[in-house]
Amino acid sequence: MKKYLRLVRAGFLANFGLAVLRPKYLRHNRRDFWLLPLILMGLAGLVPVLIYYLKGIRFTYGLLAPLGHQAALLTFAILMGQFLIIVFGFYYVLSAFYFSRDLELLVPLPVTPAQVLLAKFTVVVINEYLTASPIVVPMLVAYGIHSRAGLRYGLTAAAVYFLLPIIPLAIVSLLVILMMRFVNVSRKKDALIIAGSLILMGGALGLQIWANRMPGAGPGKEALVAFFSAGGLVQKVGAKFPPSIWATQALAPGPESSAAANFALYAGVSILLFAVLFLAARTLFYRGLLGLGEISARKRRLTREGMAARLSAGRRPLRAIFLRELRIMNRTPIFLLNGVLSVVLIPVIFIIMARVGGAARGGDALQIILLLGSANPGGVILGSALFMTICGCLNGTAPSSFSREGTQFWLSKVIPVPPSDQVKAKFLHSFAIAGLGIIVAAVAAVVVIRAKIVLVLIALPIALAAAAALTSLGMIIDLLRPLLNWTNPQKAIKQNLNVLIAFFVDAGLLVVLTLGGVELFKLGVRMEIAVGIIFLFLLAMAGAGITGLMKMAERRYRDIEA
Amino acid sequence: MIEFVHVSKSYNKGRIKAVDDLTLTVSPGEIFGFLGPNGAGKTTTLKLIVGLLRPDAGTIRVNSVDNQKDPVAAKSMTTYVPDTPAVYERLTGLEYLNFIGDVYGVPKAERLRRIERWLDLFELADAVGAPIQGYSHGMKQKIVLIAALLPKPRVMILDEPMVGLDARSAHAMKEMMRTHCAGGGTLFFSTHIMEVAEKLCDRLAIIHKGRLIAHGTLDELRARDREDESLEKIFLELTES
Repeated sequence: MKKYLRLVRAGFLANFGLAVLRPKYLRHNRRDFWLLPLILMGLAGLVPVLIYYLKGIRFTYGLLAPLGHQAALLTFAILMGQFLIIVFGFYYVLSAFYFSRDLELLVPLPVTPAQVLLAKFTVVVINEYLTASPIVVPMLVAYGIHSRAGLRYGLTAAAVYFLLPIIPLAIVSLLVILMMRFVNVSRKKDALIIAGSLILMGGALGLQIWANRMPGAGPGKEALVAFFSAGGLVQKVGAKFPPSIWATQALAPGPESSAAANFALYAGVSILLFAVLFLAARTLFYRGLLGLGEISARKRRLTREGMAARLSAGRRPLRAIFLRELRIMNRTPIFLLNGVLSVVLIPVIFIIMARVGGAARGGDALQIILLLGSANPGGVILGSALFMTICGCLNGTAPSSFSREGTQFWLSKVIPVPPSDQVKAKFLHSFAIAGLGIIVAAVAAVVVIRAKIVLVLIALPIALAAAAALTSLGMIIDLLRPLLNWTNPQKAIKQNLNVLIAFFVDAGLLVVLTLGGVELFKLGVRMEIAVGIIFLFLLAMAGAGITGLMKMAERRYRDIEA
Repeated sequence: MIEFVHVSKSYNKGRIKAVDDLTLTVSPGEIFGFLGPNGAGKTTTLKLIVGLLRPDAGTIRVNSVDNQKDPVAAKSMTTYVPDTPAVYERLTGLEYLNFIGDVYGVPKAERLRRIERWLDLFELADAVGAPIQGYSHGMKQKIVLIAALLPKPRVMILDEPMVGLDARSAHAMKEMMRTHCAGGGTLFFSTHIMEVAEKLCDRLAIIHKGRLIAHGTLDELRARDREDESLEKIFLELTES
């Protein structure tokens, strides 16, 4: 038990980079003081969303209570929570159990496979509490308040939440352990991660489309009641995954014996699956693990001609660094998913959602947009530019430009290429990815919104100017505090605070610009002039950003010690 | 040539002196061995030469170029092999070598000739088309070494270059070191292997707790104490405290 707890502690410290919030850390790293208000601002930004969610719960509860269907709200929240846990769990479990580099350290230690796996499982469970909490916790609390529930509800709700991730995660873990034991994936690790992520995305999209097409889907009180009522979507899905129904019955008002029996079922199945996982960990875990880390270099002797064809000539550092960035980004699955694939997929998902979603609703939305567009072409231009910018820029490419190099940053410091040239190549790479997203989004704007091509073409340079500004801003943030000491590439992009900071800065900037555009129209400024002002402002910002980035590069490359 | 003039470097806001007032000159054509116990400041010194770290005080000149004032010029004459070969694992060996050729500006014909030569010598030709991710530690060490040789630099800085190499590759490496210096190049390397230092180095320096405590040829070091002492004994005596 002691060893298990120590492994959990080590895993917890390695996975949750919360050092920045500790006063001791800030005393020694005064440069990072500015992060604290930013984090608080980010959290404060979530408050309106929470309020909106709580209002929605109150409204729906008020609709369902007279019909006696209010408990379906609990089923909904628990289902959504467990669905999120499954979606993220697959990736977390696969990474933590099999592709994490700490395994090389843990396997030789005098600890049992079960201790290692269960410690990792515990860390994933803690991660999943955070994943599910924004949806489940407000619902449990709000439901308790609206139904004036007592102590029994409070204790049961706490226990239900405590057990929430166990069933879905144990199922995912068992599937992953069996897959790794019996399918030889060591050579196909990268393909597996990409395929798994795409399947999950496809699954989530499919579920969304299916939900849209269900009877009762759509806005309006009647639809909402149908959605939550007996035989509605929530009940139908809940019946397919009964733990959410057991948890609901344990929490809903009714005879105590029924509540206790349902809770016993919910807890019993959780414990049973945990026990099965324990047994699988003892017998199967290391067998699937051993040999996974070793990928032998396939012998591929090149002929002299073959080698000559692959070599370039002369000194061309800009091209070399651009190609290096491109290759590393596209060959590292987690970078690829957050870079090229995300900028292509987001507009594509938008197209699919609008095309395949509820015909009536989609049609209505399109009609409204088209109507607005015909009356206000300036709005369409700026709206399209905003959409293209979001699709192209709100990804982790630019704000992880330097962090992605990790421990290999020493190479960038020793090569005889001025930092400004290196940064130029990195900028071009990030900008190319943003450009790709912008072009795909432009096509989406024409196909989905049926915006006039000429208006989208006018929006294109505005989006590109915004992309240049946001790319340079993202890179500046990463250059100020690069995260270089990672062992799992996920930390460089998905768990990199710089990406989150850049997201808030970008989103804030886009909100300010949008409000500025609206104000200009309200003031009666002619459309061409308003669009021109915003374009020139973005160009100036891009110019200032790029110049600042280049200047900063010389100093930061010297100061960052690798 | 490498010149250190009163170079100091500390960590932890000056609390840990890694290199303390180092003044030393390494001449062209010299194989210079840098010895010291763990944590003595060897790697820090090497990193200071190649610009991975900034000195707190003092000047480092590579072939008369101040590496702080004109870092790109200093770097274009220098290559570095770190103690842990952290390289671009997602590139193939050949892509990595080509990248180095591109940033140092090695002409294509020369690039091909040198790559073929070093790949054969270090027995890496069969794996060069595969991603570095699949290389063993020794293979990664070799690809970094070949990359450091590719630009034919005037100064080579190697941190524990023998670690991870098999006997044949270690032999090839020693040959390479001699050839490099015979052509007028400078080679500055750190090592823990006394035998290598004893047999290979023209001159040696011993650093302890950041301070240079002895330097010279092996004979000069022996002359400090008694004749015919092994380098290992001299090293142990000097770093005893």
